[in-house]
Amino acid sequence: MSLYSYMAWRNIWRNPRRSLLTMGAIAFATVILIFMLSLQFGNYSTIIDSVVKMRTGHLQVQATGYQENRDIHLAVADPSQVAATLDRAPEVSGFTFRAHAFALVSSDNRSYGTVVTGISDRELTTSSLARTISEGRFLTEDEGAQALVGNILAKNLRVKPGDEVALLGQGLDGSVAATIVTVRGILSSGQDQFDRVSFYIPLPYFQELFGMGEAVHEIVVIAERLEDVAGLKQRLEEEVAGDTGRALRVLDWKELSPGLLEAITLDLMTGFLFYIVLIVVVAFSISNTFIMAIFERKKELGLMLALGSRPARLTGILFLEYGMLTTLGLAAGILIGCLVTLYFGAYGIQIPGMAEMARHYGVPERVFPQLSFLSVGIGSGLVVGISLCTSLIPVWKVRRLRPVPAMAEG
Amino acid sequence: MLLQLAWRNIWRNPRRTILILAAVTIAVWSMVFSSALMRGIADQMVRNGIATLTGHIQIHQQGFRDDPSAAMHMKNPTELKQTLQDHLPPGALFSARVRTNAVASNARHSGGVTLVGIDPDREKKLSFVSSSIISGNYLDAEDPYGIIIGTSLMNSLKTRVGNKLVVMAQDTRQKMSSRAFRITGEYRAELEATEKEFVFITLPAAQNLLKMDEALSEICIVLPDREKVRETAAALARILPKDHEILAWQEMLPLVTATLRLYESIIYLWYLVAFTAMAFGLVNTFLMAVLERIREFGLLRALGMKSRWIIQGVMTESFFLLVIGIALGNALGAISVIGLSHTGIDLSVFAGGTQYWGLPKIIYPVLLASDAILVNGIVLVLGLLVSGYPALKASHFTPVEAMAHT
Amino acid sequence: MCIVECENVRKIYRKGTQEVVALDGVSLKIKKGEFLALAGPSGSGKTTLFNVLGGLDRVDEGCVILDGDELNQLTDSRLAELRLRKIGIIFQSFNLIPVLSALENVEFVMLLQGIPPAERNRKAKELLGDVGLGGLYARRPAELSGGQQQRVAVARALAGNPAIVLADEPTANLDSQTGARLLALMKEMNQTRKVTFIFSTHDRMVMEYASRLVHIKDGRIRDE
Repeated sequence: MSLYSYMAWRNIWRNPRRSLLTMGAIAFATVILIFMLSLQFGNYSTIIDSVVKMRTGHLQVQATGYQENRDIHLAVADPSQVAATLDRAPEVSGFTFRAHAFALVSSDNRSYGTVVTGISDRELTTSSLARTISEGRFLTEDEGAQALVGNILAKNLRVKPGDEVALLGQGLDGSVAATIVTVRGILSSGQDQFDRVSFYIPLPYFQELFGMGEAVHEIVVIAERLEDVAGLKQRLEEEVAGDTGRALRVLDWKELSPGLLEAITLDLMTGFLFYIVLIVVVAFSISNTFIMAIFERKKELGLMLALGSRPARLTGILFLEYGMLTTLGLAAGILIGCLVTLYFGAYGIQIPGMAEMARHYGVPERVFPQLSFLSVGIGSGLVVGISLCTSLIPVWKVRRLRPVPAMAEG
Repeated sequence: MLLQLAWRNIWRNPRRTILILAAVTIAVWSMVFSSALMRGIADQMVRNGIATLTGHIQIHQQGFRDDPSAAMHMKNPTELKQTLQDHLPPGALFSARVRTNAVASNARHSGGVTLVGIDPDREKKLSFVSSSIISGNYLDAEDPYGIIIGTSLMNSLKTRVGNKLVVMAQDTRQKMSSRAFRITGEYRAELEATEKEFVFITLPAAQNLLKMDEALSEICIVLPDREKVRETAAALARILPKDHEILAWQEMLPLVTATLRLYESIIYLWYLVAFTAMAFGLVNTFLMAVLERIREFGLLRALGMKSRWIIQGVMTESFFLLVIGIALGNALGAISVIGLSHTGIDLSVFAGGTQYWGLPKIIYPVLLASDAILVNGIVLVLGLLVSGYPALKASHFTPVEAMAHT
Repeated sequence: MCIVECENVRKIYRKGTQEVVALDGVSLKIKKGEFLALAGPSGSGKTTLFNVLGGLDRVDEGCVILDGDELNQLTDSRLAELRLRKIGIIFQSFNLIPVLSALENVEFVMLLQGIPPAERNRKAKELLGDVGLGGLYARRPAELSGGQQQRVAVARALAGNPAIVLADEPTANLDSQTGARLLALMKEMNQTRKVTFIFSTHDRMVMEYASRLVHIKDGRIRDE
């Protein structure tokens, strides 16, 4: 250890109580930031995961315009061609076909308008739909006239597995599409919005009923990892969209649920406003220690100047001192923050009011913070930043110190 | 004398006092302002929820909520209206509605909607519809073919004001009944989901379509005072027949209620965090102030001052500091709340995000007296408590020890 | 050969609206190897002169040349460099950095000069031995008596191989016996190491050690 760092180290322990309190404030801010950021990031990945797994997938291939218009006519006429491309792509973990049409579904005494979706057996490889079955069982493609119904819709229709439901819609050619299907299973996703409207029938049966031939509306793709999505999208755009003269389009999860990313940005920004206020309060809390380190020692600093130290040298020593204080507080904060986060990451947290919100947004009722390099990095970065800013004021003061008046002061 | 001494003592080192005052002030400001913001959001969510057809209290046939169909109706509206007229507090408004699930379609497109039959004149006073028309006109009570739909639905049906729209719904006899309407107006709601869901026709047109005669699905009540909702709902439950269900907005808007509770938890957690951050500085500053004055305290002790008085002295200094900080923080908080009370904070840049969370586009902070009192109480009481440590420290210096200290 | 030359130096302090003339046209030449005492009552301007000679303060008029450098022409940073290389300073009290031991205090100046650690250590030990503190290397300033602290200060002042050592009332806080011993030590160093010493004092006993005595009063040199 050089004499300078040795001096800085001793200076810290000249007033151990004060240094400990200062480190405490720094550690506290670090713990809060790491924990809260982990909580936010953990939440976002759960929400994204749930949206991707339940609804949109990572990517979809659709006919251009379908996303905006939801028009039954805007279909992918030859999905097998796209499927061949997807089969060759190593980043694809699974894909499936879906088709949608608006229809009136009626039981003996109730009717509701809803969107009927045709699903293929491939659904099992791509979405968590099969895991939300609460009664009955999942569909297979080769059994024709059967349906999966969301639990709220089923309750409204007053049907249970085994009951019959009439479907009335309009086929691709404008003709009436009417049939009767048997309820095979009830879906309970936990998301009310979803369970109020879901109605699934096998894809081949859907295509026959609505006169769609081989056509589908969505080819839903799940990538191996979230990071693969951007690259995969670009490749698919070149191969699929290019080949068909832009009749087809590739959309990623951000485009498929447009509010989601903005919702996350908004939430993150709100969080950061709070964090900034927190670190400003901490900055003022620790600024006294930093400033006192100069004012108490004016004589001593004056002496060093008189002996021929350049002001920059004093600045260096003070920076070292502040740096050590910050580093110690930060290290303690990172350690405690990680432990707290890991603990709650394993057991989850329950905040009053969160459970109902969670049902709405389709996330688990307990929140699980997720420790990551990002949350630790951003949290520590903010703390280091504010400590650096706080130390600038006294350091600036030192530059204006003159030996004679400094030594004359107590 | 003691007060004067304490007051002078805190200004012995003005720089230090000002820094710690800044910490207290910002902490208090952040507590006041953040709770005002969150209350503002919550308040607006409640208001929006209430204005979007919910009202303060709704009356339905028992079971309507689980099965919102035409069959679930209240058969004797005249009697019901009379009871309400007699028992609701003065200034209360109510409006009768028919409400059911329906399918709206034109030549090429169709979609599921909630059909609402309203009394245009009465509805005007208690829900958002009449004030949200952006093109065309509000419903005319005399027009049995008029229909109002939201912008979002209009886009997805690819239609516009003046066009025809067919509405199909199940009537009281379980038969599908349909009729063509003409779009007379387009409305814009706070949330897209609202625009997609609700279409409005006149009450007689709805009763006619659904073959309900004079029957009603729902009565929506708005009281002059939101605080009286539960009380009034309970009173109505005693008077009205047992097959009627009386719901307060808290039960009808579970998500909003949950958000209110969540925000409340966040506010309290923030109080704790901001206070702790500030407390480190407070204790530290007082510790410095006390350690600097070891000799002085020793002298006071030597002069025969009891340790209790020394504690009292230091606590008084802390009290002054906290009171000034709190006053400044409150003033700053009040200024920010008042400053934003007209313009609000515009979040329309994050329109997608506000839609997703169901937040209002513009937030107007609302400062509640209870929050302000709580903030001030917490900071003052806990602040005094933590400054007990340096005070205790000061009281423990023995004269000899203190005089030896340089 | 002159190591220090002052010519017609004036220094004025402002206290509010009042002007205090601390140095009123001081001219002084000091030769290499002198052991010079600046004598005068408090308020006479001797501390100001001392600060000016030590490059701690700037003059308002006139010039000060130290070992060939005109002090008023130098930047703050160059002035610091000059203090480091050419001047050793001993104050009347608070000479030492509290967190450093006696040895480290002596080493500090050499550290600033960029002397390698081993040499620093050797030379600091030698100097402490010379001032009679051989066994007390590891003591912190708080653990040393006033006389011992001043001896460390003497060792520290010599550590940088300065051209000149300035001591501002070095004995003011010491009892007369300890003061006399310190003066004897300084004189010894002056003679064995051929270092110029300038010290200010108002103590008659101390003046007697001086090889040259300069009286100063009301900011002017009275006699020699």
